[in-house]
Amino acid sequence: MTSMPPPPPAFSAVAREVQAVMPTAVDAGKSITVSGFKITTRKLPILNAQEIDAMTEKLGIAPPEMIFGNNIVSIEKVGADGGAVAENPWKIEFNALDALDLVDKTGNDMLKVAYSSAWQKQREKMHEGIKEVVKPFDWTYSTNYQGSITPGAKPFEPTEDQIPLDKLRRQDPILFFDDVMLYEDELADNGMSILSVKIRVMPARLLLLARFYMRLDDVVFRIRDTRVFVEFAEGLVLREYQEREDSYDNVRQKIPPYRDDIPAIMRDPNQMAEYLPLRSVTVEKVVL
Amino acid sequence: MSDLDKAIEQLRQCRPIPELQVREICFKAREILIEEANVQIVDAPVTICGDIHGQFHDLMELFRVGGDCPDTNYLFMGDFVDRGFYSLESFLLLLCLKVRYPDRITLIRGNHESRQITTVYGFYDECIRKYGSANVWRYCCDVFDYLALGALVIGAGSSVQPTRSTDGEDAETKIREAEDEVEIEVIGLGGVITRQMSRRDAGMINSANLTPSALPHLSSSGPAGALLTGVPGTGASGNSRGTSTPNAPTNTGGAVLCVHGGLSPLIDSVDKIRLLDRKQEVPHDGAMCDLLWSDPEEIDGWGLSPRGAGFLFGADIVKQFNHLNNLTLIARAHQLVMEGFKEMFDSSIVTVWSAPNYCYRCGNVAAILELGEDNSNAVLRSGGEEMLFNRENTRRLASTYMGGSMKRGGPGRRYRVFEAAAQDSRGMPSKKPMPYYFL
Repeated sequence: MTSMPPPPPAFSAVAREVQAVMPTAVDAGKSITVSGFKITTRKLPILNAQEIDAMTEKLGIAPPEMIFGNNIVSIEKVGADGGAVAENPWKIEFNALDALDLVDKTGNDMLKVAYSSAWQKQREKMHEGIKEVVKPFDWTYSTNYQGSITPGAKPFEPTEDQIPLDKLRRQDPILFFDDVMLYEDELADNGMSILSVKIRVMPARLLLLARFYMRLDDVVFRIRDTRVFVEFAEGLVLREYQEREDSYDNVRQKIPPYRDDIPAIMRDPNQMAEYLPLRSVTVEKVVL
Repeated sequence: MSDLDKAIEQLRQCRPIPELQVREICFKAREILIEEANVQIVDAPVTICGDIHGQFHDLMELFRVGGDCPDTNYLFMGDFVDRGFYSLESFLLLLCLKVRYPDRITLIRGNHESRQITTVYGFYDECIRKYGSANVWRYCCDVFDYLALGALVIGAGSSVQPTRSTDGEDAETKIREAEDEVEIEVIGLGGVITRQMSRRDAGMINSANLTPSALPHLSSSGPAGALLTGVPGTGASGNSRGTSTPNAPTNTGGAVLCVHGGLSPLIDSVDKIRLLDRKQEVPHDGAMCDLLWSDPEEIDGWGLSPRGAGFLFGADIVKQFNHLNNLTLIARAHQLVMEGFKEMFDSSIVTVWSAPNYCYRCGNVAAILELGEDNSNAVLRSGGEEMLFNRENTRRLASTYMGGSMKRGGPGRRYRVFEAAAQDSRGMPSKKPMPYYFL
């Protein structure tokens, strides 16, 4: 059922060699079509200087240090033949550009690193002339991105339905799995900010999790999860968005102190999720 | 074979050495480093390297591409540890080489060579995992405090000896005529000459049309000039005779300041760096902090990072600093660059990044910067003596003084681009993620 991407264009011998030795998760893209849904993921290296300049111009802010601007994860409703549907096309895609476009660019939501006040006090004494913050924006790259939907597609509507976790806990065979990074920043070594998208496709349904995780050392922990659930037979798509957040101190108190791998835990959003209280949750639904 | 040579051999195989030996080597390293100045003077030829971040196998690849130590004279601009899986082996190997060949390798401090940062970003954990205690981490941190804050490369030539293509396929390569000196040469993946630029070319080329193409095309038949990031435009950098200060050595190729992060508003001369008390943990503010943390940015003057701590500096700051200190270039590391290096501000500053496929997932290439020796007959840098001008110098100064078409004064530089080593699979994240039942 897996459809392979078209073969790459012919490269010179050198280029072929380059490709062969690339040890990276370079991936021109792969997809699978299951029961009228086509799932595609693409993993490429971080953007080059030219692409970063173009993105900076589009966004109006400097992109994160590790910017996987060519990576995507998409779910598309397709016809019986696997081709795009002519009427009411529907597609949800996750990409870095759209996610970053939702980052606050005004500087109103700006957090400061833990030692900022001490640093600024010192600076005021030493260099009164330097007052201007260069391009203030939310440099933690916090986003409430929930995916990009084809313009004009049938919209999501609020629902009381829940994603059926019991069905997802079943160990149905996984036909397709991927974990795609969209961006990551080390917050100038004051923590980390990361947005990645995981997807698993089973015979009857799929689950996508787009997780934004941000740790600002000695200040705050933040998780923003978007889950997309598709029940193929019913054409049912549920989208759940959750925000979790707490102060650094509160969260640290919950991590068992006997653990000797606390820094590793704090780098792992999957382990941290359980320590962060749920602040809000919304569920939407569309039947295709 | 001495114990030190044995340790080097063992570390080259990526095998840690016993704790007692680490202690001994760290002690010896401190004895050497304590004698070094805050700004260590290094003679060209030298190969300048950026962040390593514990990517041991890629460090081996760097040595393969750049030549082994001590055959090649190396200058590493810090961030040896954290993030990669082999911070310990990488740093200890460099340190052993420092102890073994103190005049052939220079290590300067990066912001990751700090107690606080290494506890958060991996080096501390790695030491605990490999030794069962924090002792080795402590020994290493004590060494960090003695690392130089910068280095001044002197005696660099104004052109590089052009590399002749070996395979005879020079379709994309402009081999210059003998009298046309090569200012910049880029050796791409697989040793292919990606670009040679003469000083005259460099002055005429607009940086906007010389951004790199996508990685797979690097060494294929991409557009000529693929890869050079931020290539020189016309620019002023001080290389005139009158501005030299007693402590900023004058030399025909111009001095190159190497520092991990960048400049500081508290530092307007190289001499001021020399006055700092460096033997301490990296502070959260002040000049020492800035040198290890600040970044160049497309702004005028100084700016504050939106993060609330740390400085950004613009082209005018760099050009003025270079002019006042008789520098032709600032080489720094600290920021990931997809292409391995990035020249900014009319080639007055360059970022060199030496960790390919950073964090084993970014897919970037890495680079090292080679500064050649000045082969001309005028070698002069101590105070008091009259400078002898060779033909090239006279020519350059003449054109500088003629105004209008001021030539650029950067040293000849060869960038060698390389990619990640074919890694062995131990502990590395695999290319294909393992499926699991996440919720």
